[in-house]
Amino acid sequence: MTESPTNKPGNGDVCQRVRNGLKPERNGLLKTLYCCHERQPKHQYHPEEEEEEEEANAEPCHGGLYRRPFIESFEETPMLVAVLTYMGYGILTIFGYLRDFLRHWKIERCHIAREKEEQKDFVPLYQDFENFYTRNLYMRIRDNWNRPLCSVPGAKMDLMERTSLDYNWTFEYTGRVVHDVINLGSYNYLGFAENTGPCADSAAELTVKYGVGVASTRQEIGNLDRHEELEKLVAEFLGVDSAMAFGMGFATNSMNIPALSGKGCLILSDELNHASLVLGARLSGSIIRVFKHNNMQSLEKLLREAIVYGQPRTHRPWKKILIVVEGIYSMEGSIVRLPEVVALKKHYQAYLYLDEAHSIGALGPRGRGVVDYFGLDPRDVDVMMGTFTKSFGAAGGYIAGKRELIEYLRSHSHSAVYATSMSPPVVEQIITSMKCIMGKDGTTIGLERVQQLAENTVYFRKKLQEMGFIIYGNEDSPVIPMMLYMPAKIGAFGREMLKRNIGVVGVGFPATPIIESRARFCISAAHTKEMLDRALSVISEVGDLLQLKYSRHRIQPSLVRPFDDNVYEEIDD
Amino acid sequence: MFCSTLLRRQSRGKIFRRVDETTSTSARVRLFALVNCTHQQGDKPFLFIAVVSINTSTARFYLRGFNAGCTRMNVGVAHSEVNPNTRVMNSRGIWLTYALGVGILHIVLLSIPFFSVPVVWTLTNVIHNFGMYVFMHAVKGTPFETPDQGKARLLTHWEQLDYGVQFTSSRKFFTISPIILYFLASFYTKYDTTHFIINTASLLSVLIPKLPQLHGVRLFGINKY
Repeated sequence: MTESPTNKPGNGDVCQRVRNGLKPERNGLLKTLYCCHERQPKHQYHPEEEEEEEEANAEPCHGGLYRRPFIESFEETPMLVAVLTYMGYGILTIFGYLRDFLRHWKIERCHIAREKEEQKDFVPLYQDFENFYTRNLYMRIRDNWNRPLCSVPGAKMDLMERTSLDYNWTFEYTGRVVHDVINLGSYNYLGFAENTGPCADSAAELTVKYGVGVASTRQEIGNLDRHEELEKLVAEFLGVDSAMAFGMGFATNSMNIPALSGKGCLILSDELNHASLVLGARLSGSIIRVFKHNNMQSLEKLLREAIVYGQPRTHRPWKKILIVVEGIYSMEGSIVRLPEVVALKKHYQAYLYLDEAHSIGALGPRGRGVVDYFGLDPRDVDVMMGTFTKSFGAAGGYIAGKRELIEYLRSHSHSAVYATSMSPPVVEQIITSMKCIMGKDGTTIGLERVQQLAENTVYFRKKLQEMGFIIYGNEDSPVIPMMLYMPAKIGAFGREMLKRNIGVVGVGFPATPIIESRARFCISAAHTKEMLDRALSVISEVGDLLQLKYSRHRIQPSLVRPFDDNVYEEIDD
Repeated sequence: MFCSTLLRRQSRGKIFRRVDETTSTSARVRLFALVNCTHQQGDKPFLFIAVVSINTSTARFYLRGFNAGCTRMNVGVAHSEVNPNTRVMNSRGIWLTYALGVGILHIVLLSIPFFSVPVVWTLTNVIHNFGMYVFMHAVKGTPFETPDQGKARLLTHWEQLDYGVQFTSSRKFFTISPIILYFLASFYTKYDTTHFIINTASLLSVLIPKLPQLHGVRLFGINKY
């Protein structure tokens, strides 16, 4: 077998650059792309390129695939912090065993579900050990989650104050309301979570006209003219042929992936894909293979092996190969490397399913999502999926693509046949907010919001990094996970922030890896600069109090680079 | 500098790579040779019968790494790992924490004025082995609910490590550490008979459950459910 000329390293030099921590393969599409464009003059964008070298993953040029620098950083856990985190979990576990012992011998009052005395010898109904963490860790800091709100969760919200007299096993309301808590937890990227304004008014009008519910599926009597208009609008928004909308974002994934792939197909899904994608893949009956998060070498390796070996026992060729990725991964804040994925899919003739739950409306100069952010052609992505929950202030999901695909889904999707169609006020909210973003309502409010979100994101991330916190994710993603590491700090951080009138979301083990507990901030276009400044000063204060400033790659505060539209205008086609 | 951070970042995927390493190197070389020579053929991936056969047991391990833990529904979590218990012992810094823990135990015992040095070493060995037996070979299941409907409920932590794949790095580490402790204890007790019997019994109690032949085995029905 002869090697084709494209596979030889260019100009006789071996590219030793390490991508994603793996050695470049000797043959490979990505490898040839890097090598062939090694010699191109690097026209760089930022004047402060030296600083990017210090960060974890600055990738200029990349064979012409990326038109803007793709900067993602996942700074590693400091060893001392990791050791202290394990000790923290160890101490909590020992105390948990002690408390369980005391509860068993009735020295301490037992609040958990127990069987009756007479039934103690039966086969156990409750698995005690499986609730160990819930009983002994989660209950102690439970007041940081499920906080009841009594206002619309926009940029600011009102919380009902509650206290607990028995260490968070039960809560009582004091009757007071905590007003104007800055909301850093809602997925309110463009600020459409509001109860006044054109969206709310049109939704109210439509409720009077059409009622609140549809009470039927799309295939029977539930197909309103508003649904048709919504789908046309979504297709126009994304730049594709046609689209179809469903009532629930989770159900969009879990009901449509089985319609698209079945037995004899292969699904390549990212390590950190959402539960809905995993469930849909599992329901479809295809073989599922997982590639490392955002790692294009891993994906390429899987693709090549799949094509070489075919199906598991029979070695027949696969009927189709579907690559499932997300636009923004909400727990990491990372953005998918879409240009490389598209290049791979074209080369190996696979299909691409892109879930833009968090990135639609939040990325891109016109708010059209991750495809717009990278400046790619929306027709390259075979199935574009997204949700209306995050940026549009509504509920539901959509799938968009070629006309034949959507026509097929209209008759074959489980959700179209069995699930109720979207409720009219929700449809109207989406239509109005989408028209606002597109500028069709005659104002520039939508575009301003998109730009405000991008400004806020860049500003907030830069400030947090300057302060010395460890932030994960891409520089442009509005989801900002900030590392806390130790289990006690999750509770402490949430409570201290609430004392200072800011609401945040914390996540710990087992939802995250054991040494990577984090607090996740979601930036909104509705946050003004004063709110962000206040939030930043409070976070800095709490960070000093709890010693959260772990970062060792401190970036010197440079001159504040003014965010201007010219950054986006460099992308021309 | 950022390359090294990249490398370390990817150690999150250690479980995946470790499963790769369990295949024999010759099998992997054959794989790459196949990949190299078949890719040159046109565009269509037509039916290709592997000329070089791959040892089925190694292939099973290889494919197991792909399918293990990727077909479940994990609601509200940041990863698609079905049972986080399997990866705890591979995390960054846990071996160091474990060694420090044993060291602290030893120093605390040394501070007690009644015990002589040989007694302290034997006590360290015995307490360490007792703790390891209880947490790795006696306690079953996971302290949190897993989305796989309790597949690991009857498995001890040792059996859950790396989803049952044998001879991974953390398994080797935790097999070797009681042996090292045993050597040290034997040395410091000057091979006295009583201490020898106690130390050896304790070592055997913690080494025998680690044998791959005893994976999932319960003697006399003890600890079965």
